[in-house]
Amino acid sequence: MTAYENAIEINGVTKRYDGFTLDNISFDVPKGAICGFIGQNGAGKTTTIRSLLHITDIDSGEIRLLGLDHIKDEIEIKKRLAVVFDELPFHDIFNAKDMARIFEGMYPEWDNAVYQQYIERFQLPMKKKIGQFSKGMKMKLQIACALSHNAELLVMDEATTGLDPVVRDEILHIFMEYLQNGERSILMSSHITSDLEKIADMVTFIDKGKILLTGYKDEIIESHGILKCDKEKIAEIDPEDIVSIRTNNFGAEVMVNDRENAGYKYCDCVIDPASLDDIMLYYVHRDMKEWS
Amino acid sequence: MKLYRSLIYRELRLTRKRCFLMLILFLLLALLMLTPIMLGGFSEPAEGEDAPVEMILLFVGTVVLTGGFLAGTNNGLQKADISSGWKRYSFILPPTAKQQAVSDLLVKLFYILLFGLLSAAFAMIYSIMGDYNAFGLMLNIYLGAVCIVMLIDVVYSYIIMLAKSKKDLGVIGVAAFLGAGLIIKVVDLFTAGKDLLKGDNAAEQSAEGGALISDEAFNRFVTALGSGKTTLFVAAAFAVICALFFFVMWRSHERREP
Repeated sequence: MTAYENAIEINGVTKRYDGFTLDNISFDVPKGAICGFIGQNGAGKTTTIRSLLHITDIDSGEIRLLGLDHIKDEIEIKKRLAVVFDELPFHDIFNAKDMARIFEGMYPEWDNAVYQQYIERFQLPMKKKIGQFSKGMKMKLQIACALSHNAELLVMDEATTGLDPVVRDEILHIFMEYLQNGERSILMSSHITSDLEKIADMVTFIDKGKILLTGYKDEIIESHGILKCDKEKIAEIDPEDIVSIRTNNFGAEVMVNDRENAGYKYCDCVIDPASLDDIMLYYVHRDMKEWS
Repeated sequence: MKLYRSLIYRELRLTRKRCFLMLILFLLLALLMLTPIMLGGFSEPAEGEDAPVEMILLFVGTVVLTGGFLAGTNNGLQKADISSGWKRYSFILPPTAKQQAVSDLLVKLFYILLFGLLSAAFAMIYSIMGDYNAFGLMLNIYLGAVCIVMLIDVVYSYIIMLAKSKKDLGVIGVAAFLGAGLIIKVVDLFTAGKDLLKGDNAAEQSAEGGALISDEAFNRFVTALGSGKTTLFVAAAFAVICALFFFVMWRSHERREP
């Protein structure tokens, strides 16, 4: 087994579709970290995930997973990788028992006891057909399958979308447990930023096929702020400090990308902390500069 | 070995229902064809009726041909995998494209063997009851039928390979339907043209008594069909088609989404 520093390394990856381009993206996910991959629908999250999983071929760039080349060392990577999609990709006629029989031969490190524990913990029926499962149950089954072969890297594509808050919270809790030993890493794409705010160590923000921000979540949140001021005051703010400006009847809210510095420069204004949701929203409108 | 067991288990579980329905159809047909024996129809053939040998060939041939068609036909697995999302999921699973193709071929061979054994059992019953050994002939008919249907399956699977979504499958389904219709029409026009060229000669050349084919021609045809050379040819064709099937499946599992 190779020693590696980053569970995921994406360097200059480009993938062109008619009407959309994943444009020269680069980011890393360190070993032992949970990285939230955020962006609005159609931003390129799924294309990035499909590229790194080699579901689709990339036009240029390099991807390394667990320190290995994502195409050359595909077989080795797949044994140590688990993926959870937004929709359950299992046939409706199978039940949880069938899935264990299918996966135990495929994964060298498949552990039926661990699988059984997850099934019991999620209170999933062993013999009921998957077609009769609710959306929450289907997602839990997919997660149980993903976590039962000691995967070092877990990739999730909108896995918590469409689930109720109770199930989401339960699932997030399990992911936290899964990372306890420090050897495992998670890349979790979602547009539900509140989930990522709870568990992510890192955040990568993608928009229109480009990576806008990537780094540690706390640093990103701390460096950004929402400066509240009158509309007349906007002209006095250095454009370099501004991500975008949201105007309303009472004045303007300016997203600044260096909160500490802005606090000194515009000491007569109030700067509120920004959430990941705010950051995403203001960055999405960065081209317009002013929006309402 | 464990890996193949998993792959084959999945495929057999998914095709079980379809197989069960095909088995019922096959057994019903076999039962129908056994009715003359059960009613004692071969004990004393009535004057002016077909000889029992011809009847045996007709009944056994029908059942064996049906068995071959059912065994070689597409099992719908590729289509089901695309619809369920398993096809995409399989790209992140450890089995390689080659291993998955081997599993596809083994499952196909399993069904061919299953229906082959059932067809052989049926042929044996008739051989014993009618005191006529047609085993070689039946083997050739069975393998020939399997080859034809498998060849269609290979082409169909190759086309399916290009589909990545339910929408694509729908378009391909319509295109395949129209394509098949077009081929049938072309073949129909071709044979109609041949008949026109032949004129009344074809009718004149038919056997006496209004039969479509004379006894002598029929016997020649049966002898050729049951010969060792035909067995060799059909077996070789079967091996080539199996290789083609494996290759198409391999490519299908290997091919990434656009």
